Amino acid sequence: MTESAIVGQWTAAPGAEEIVTGKARYCPDIQLPGLLCGKLLYSPHARARIRKLDVRKARNMPGVFAVITHADIPGENSYLYAEPDQPLLVVDEVRFQGDAVAAVAAVDERTADAALAAIEVEYQELPGIFDPLEAMQPGADQVVQGEDNVMMSQMYRAGDVEAAIASADVVIENTYRTQWAEQAFLEMEGGVGLVDDEGGITVYSSCQAPHRDRMQIARALAMPESMVRVITPYIGGAFGAKDEAHVQIHAGLLAHAAQRPVHLIRERRESMLTHVKRHPMIIDYTTAATKEGKLLAVKARVIADAGPYTNSTHEVLNKCGEFIGGPYKVENVEVEKIGVRTNNPITGAFRGFGAPQAAFVYESQMDDLARKLGMDPLAIRLLNGVETGTKMYTGVVIREGTAMKASLNKAAEMIEWEKRDQVERRPARHLRRGFGMATILKGSGLGRGLADHAGVVLEMHRDGSVVLQSGAADMGQGIVTVMAQLAAERLGIGMSSVRVVRADTAKSPDAGASCASRQAMVSGNAVLEAADTIRDTLLTMAAGKTKIARDRLDLKAGRLTVDGEPHELTVKDLALRAGIWGYPLHAESLVHFEYPTDVPDVTYRFSQEVFQFCTQIAQVLVDCETGQVTVERLIAVHDAGKMINPGGVYGQIEGGIAQGIGYALTEELIVKEGHTQNPSLENYVIPMAFDIPELEMEVLEIPEPLGAPLGAKGIAESPIIPTAPAIRNAIYDAIDKPLYELPMTAERVLPVPDAGSIRH
Amino acid sequence: MGEMNIEFNVNGKQVRVSAEPNKTLLYVLRGNLGLTGTKDGCSSGDCGACVVMLDGRPVNSCMVLGPQVEGSSVVTIEGLASNGELHPLQRTFGETWAFQCGFCTPGMLVSCYALLELNDHPSREEILTAIAGNFCRCTGYQAVIKAVEQAAAELRAAKGGAGND
Ligand code: FES
Ligand code: FES
Repeated sequence: MTESAIVGQWTAAPGAEEIVTGKARYCPDIQLPGLLCGKLLYSPHARARIRKLDVRKARNMPGVFAVITHADIPGENSYLYAEPDQPLLVVDEVRFQGDAVAAVAAVDERTADAALAAIEVEYQELPGIFDPLEAMQPGADQVVQGEDNVMMSQMYRAGDVEAAIASADVVIENTYRTQWAEQAFLEMEGGVGLVDDEGGITVYSSCQAPHRDRMQIARALAMPESMVRVITPYIGGAFGAKDEAHVQIHAGLLAHAAQRPVHLIRERRESMLTHVKRHPMIIDYTTAATKEGKLLAVKARVIADAGPYTNSTHEVLNKCGEFIGGPYKVENVEVEKIGVRTNNPITGAFRGFGAPQAAFVYESQMDDLARKLGMDPLAIRLLNGVETGTKMYTGVVIREGTAMKASLNKAAEMIEWEKRDQVERRPARHLRRGFGMATILKGSGLGRGLADHAGVVLEMHRDGSVVLQSGAADMGQGIVTVMAQLAAERLGIGMSSVRVVRADTAKSPDAGASCASRQAMVSGNAVLEAADTIRDTLLTMAAGKTKIARDRLDLKAGRLTVDGEPHELTVKDLALRAGIWGYPLHAESLVHFEYPTDVPDVTYRFSQEVFQFCTQIAQVLVDCETGQVTVERLIAVHDAGKMINPGGVYGQIEGGIAQGIGYALTEELIVKEGHTQNPSLENYVIPMAFDIPELEMEVLEIPEPLGAPLGAKGIAESPIIPTAPAIRNAIYDAIDKPLYELPMTAERVLPVPDAGSIRH
Repeated sequence: MGEMNIEFNVNGKQVRVSAEPNKTLLYVLRGNLGLTGTKDGCSSGDCGACVVMLDGRPVNSCMVLGPQVEGSSVVTIEGLASNGELHPLQRTFGETWAFQCGFCTPGMLVSCYALLELNDHPSREEILTAIAGNFCRCTGYQAVIKAVEQAAAELRAAKGGAGND
């Protein structure tokens, strides 16, 4: 194929102009005649029995069009991501601070607030269960009566861990703790529900999975899915938290109850109290190695505080366990994954799905091991690193693994790792400088055995313009741009000729959720397949018309080309002829991600098999008096397979690192007895512009052979993963104090071991 | 609560709205005037999604009450382009991927616009200061800095001042 005109080039996103002019409409911007204001009444308690719930007063208030409780839900009263155990509206017991008990729709916000205030709820507070370790004990009070608090307990074993540990020269054992982390997408969760002309329900939804939303809304309304339509407007970020449904279902329920359009947008405080957080985990981790530094075994026990409901706990723990050994050759691995119910916040997807917690642990441990053996952190990683062809303990064979060591070497070169001791380590009496690295892997795609498919519909009109319909939600990660680029490239037209219709279940085929760094691969392939069908028709027609052999023809820069040279016929001419002569320039495709069949011993369930590798190195400055950590430099080397949209790739890396710095140093939801203490952007501290150093990045392009369009693979999750352990290792290097708990706040950094020497 | 009339200038147009005096400028812009370009990310002054120019200075419009803008002039994201021509910042934001989801963009762009109005040769430090109150969860700010630098260079070139770099 000839050189790309569009793929691999910096190009503005379709819709960029709408965004920079303020025309792009997000859920809160949707205005409709008669639009009501919807609100939810949330529980003030972490755990309480509802003794009385009386909404009659609220219902009779002027301006109130609907008040609903669990009793008014026509269908199933539950969310359905994996398990239907979280109620949409609580029946008899609230189990966390974000449980909703009623919903109202009123003529304006003030009336809606007054209606909420008029709802009479009598709670009987119950003693909550807040410590996952206590909740696991036999005989512990049950968060959900009749259900074991241990909602998930899985053991995975490969090789013989005990024997390997017994034979090892060194064994290191530590316990790590991670925090509740908040996605803090800037646009709060929202939905707009309306009754459509056919009596069905249409919902505008700020989401990652429009087709799954449709299923959930239909289920709650007891309507056939054919009567429910979900449209995604512009979406202001998600990072996993909008993979699971939020208020869009209630927006549908309220619209149905009021028979009027209803706007339902969470406020920031509500948002922070209600949606799934990154799981806090307690991870006991043992590493065994030879004295030369060769890894022999990894043994881990992961306990995740799941909150009261299942949400995506299984999926998150699945990924955490899958990558618990890191990008290393280690044959003996044992990992026990335990999800525990508590009355704390609910937990679920957040960029990386359990892999960031795992990486914090395995990369911290790797530096501890290097220290114990007196080895260089780079050398020990290169010694153990996976390669192309490595069979992981999971049984998965790495098809393309060059980037593991290539990214390590490149990052080390960029920061001059070998010369780091020549850098001033004590720039002032109270300051210490240190360097730390982390290298990780994370899979792209849902995983073997899961329905991982996407469809698109592509149509070229008589004027050569193209409409692409896809069910893939774009929350800002840029799938719309990638799809437009691939279509434009294959059809030889400009980006401005491709219009991507934002996901709308009435028009777009199901593309599954925008999660797991999968859409660029599955939807990308679907676009290529559909575009090739249209291209084929155009070229066949062109061959007929020009009497030139089909294989000499191509489409480029809006023209037919013959042996690469522009011909007088344009794509537009061909499209017009196709229209007139009745050749349909319409294609639909449905692509399944194909997992290789030649790996008989994959023993890990739902294993991913396309890998994002990356290395980050942090240079930090620690103030021994205040405990303040400043990230002075951050080097990041990532493999993208092939960059379709460089702007998007760099953007993902930069944004992921910023989130990683927050995860490492400041971000933590403080939860006391089930009550979140800091549900605001003021008190949940997220990196602002001054907190991010000028990032030094390099993107490797090592084509991915497995199911990747043009060799490109998803990379959205990996950038956040190595940042925290790289910073942790840099702090260790700076102050000689290993930290085992996130975030690494000043209180945890202090006291600095030799701080005495800095005082007079 | 009774409503009161507020008269002010938005994006070059004189407007008169009637709103309860405790409503914020953000509310007035979005609710009364339908200017939904300006976003609400927190309603508490912590995110900068709602930044607009008020009499030449960037402010969080969620922290300003409607009556305070009586007689003032306000510029929002909708007012940055003139005569259908995008401001250089609006273009460079798109070209450099200075946004992903775009929800912070209206506030971020106005903060950067305010900076360039005063200073068409800002240092990295000055750019960081200008956007210090603008929270972006998607980009990590790097591309925003690039976009501002590029737009500043274009503005200088347009003024014929490019030679002194
Ligand atoms: S909405 Fe005004 S600062 Fe966040
Ligand atoms: S682009 Fe999404 S918050 Fe800035």
